[in-house]
Amino acid sequence: MSATRDITIGLAERSVKLIPRMPSTFVPSLIMPIFLVVSFSGAFAGLTQLPGFPADKMIDWVFPMTTLQGCAFAGVTTAMAIARDLDNGFYDRLIGSPAPRISLMLGPLLASVIRGMIPLTILLIVAVIGGANFNGGFPGLGMLVICAMSISFIAGCWGLGLAFRAKTQQIAPLMQMGLFTVFFLSTAQMPIQLLTGWIHQVARFNPITNVLQMARQVSLPAGVTWATTWPGFVSLAGMAAVLGLFAYRGLLKIVD
Amino acid sequence: MTAIVLEHYAALSRRSIMNIVRQPIAIIPSLTFPLLFLALNSSALARAIELPGFPPVDSFLQFMISSTIIQGALFGSIAAGSDMAKDIEGGFFDRLIATPVSRSSILVGRLAGSFVLGFVQAFIFFGVASLFGLNVAGGLLGMVGVALIGATIAAGVGAISVAIALRTGSTEAVQGSFPLIFVFLFLSSAFFPRSLMHGWFKSVATLNPLSHMIEAARHQVIYGWDTSQWLTGISIAGAILVGGVVASSFALRARLAEKV
Repeated sequence: MSATRDITIGLAERSVKLIPRMPSTFVPSLIMPIFLVVSFSGAFAGLTQLPGFPADKMIDWVFPMTTLQGCAFAGVTTAMAIARDLDNGFYDRLIGSPAPRISLMLGPLLASVIRGMIPLTILLIVAVIGGANFNGGFPGLGMLVICAMSISFIAGCWGLGLAFRAKTQQIAPLMQMGLFTVFFLSTAQMPIQLLTGWIHQVARFNPITNVLQMARQVSLPAGVTWATTWPGFVSLAGMAAVLGLFAYRGLLKIVD
Repeated sequence: MTAIVLEHYAALSRRSIMNIVRQPIAIIPSLTFPLLFLALNSSALARAIELPGFPPVDSFLQFMISSTIIQGALFGSIAAGSDMAKDIEGGFFDRLIATPVSRSSILVGRLAGSFVLGFVQAFIFFGVASLFGLNVAGGLLGMVGVALIGATIAAGVGAISVAIALRTGSTEAVQGSFPLIFVFLFLSSAFFPRSLMHGWFKSVATLNPLSHMIEAARHQVIYGWDTSQWLTGISIAGAILVGGVVASSFALRARLAEKV
């Protein structure tokens, strides 16, 4: 058990140390959400005038979404590093070692969560500078932090599942496109009651919609309520279970 | 201009266009990403057209189509720089300049590829959007006008990416410049009307020439053909093309000087 813990921590530490050593692999995933919060808040400011729009300022609506996106990209960039390790043979040496198999997956996932704290912190600072309201107070902030850490973990599972199967860095665009698509097929831009047609139906069944609803309690005037919290928890747990299994089965394919 | 130079122009333009035809996979991202954005935004922001001050459109699709065409042109134009960088990395460029080929045809060939791709892509986007009920008020003339603006900006940004390729000789450097284009597009009125923006973002969008070019193209789609608007759009695209050609000519001269 202690071997699993030690190797998990060791691999996570290695992944985190890669950030200052190879900033080019992490910085773009940080810049993109910052840019999106700035541009969406500015470009779509007029949407708040729509009857039924739940935010007074566009930044209140946008920054929880871009924070989660930043955390998701942090998870995916961790998985991209594993894809590179698989590509250059480093991972084969890990498999050849007596390390507990599960730690080869838990290490990168722990790193995903730790790396996710960076966009979370920076985007919160951007939100404060941008004049966002924090109507949910500390409980709302807690909801955002839970969602952010969970999404980092879930995105890490998604990325690792793909990396273990493809064993090449060329899988990276699919990792990113998958995340991008699932976010924008939710209530990323508009609340569910203002979505019409096919996207309304897709967003209704997209678990990210529930997670965004939970995370947005930090800024929206309604504050934190159980009715908007529990669907988020269920969605996070469901995605973590499904994608965790996806990653684990991928790991089994390469170690067997 | 001699007939032989024209022959060089034609040969290298044909090579550039055939590169695109033979590797359609290379242009899939410049077709699919803008269409994905179009589908998502047209659906997600459908209710935005009810806002007071929003241009009088049938649908958000009608508002977005011009931005999608410009977006596709910008995405696709990076290929000109990437292909030039590949030619440099692979040694084809060195073999090319060892021949008596006209130096300007090296640039013209690349830009012709971008121009044709931008023009054809515009009609693909119009075709797909028409399936979902797009009405172009300017008719065929309006569509050709928008496609010409798209093709010209594609050649212009293509020229800038060729300049980067000639300066660096690196495919990665060319592709690394792609986010910059994305930034310019997002800081414009590509996705929402300026009349509904406010504060510093509106000022930035107003200063951004892409806003005025996209609005000129959009005018042909929403209100019908307007020559003065079209001239505004094509002038901005043309100015970017001239700037790009100057930059790439200097870059080509510098690279050739290194080889002497």
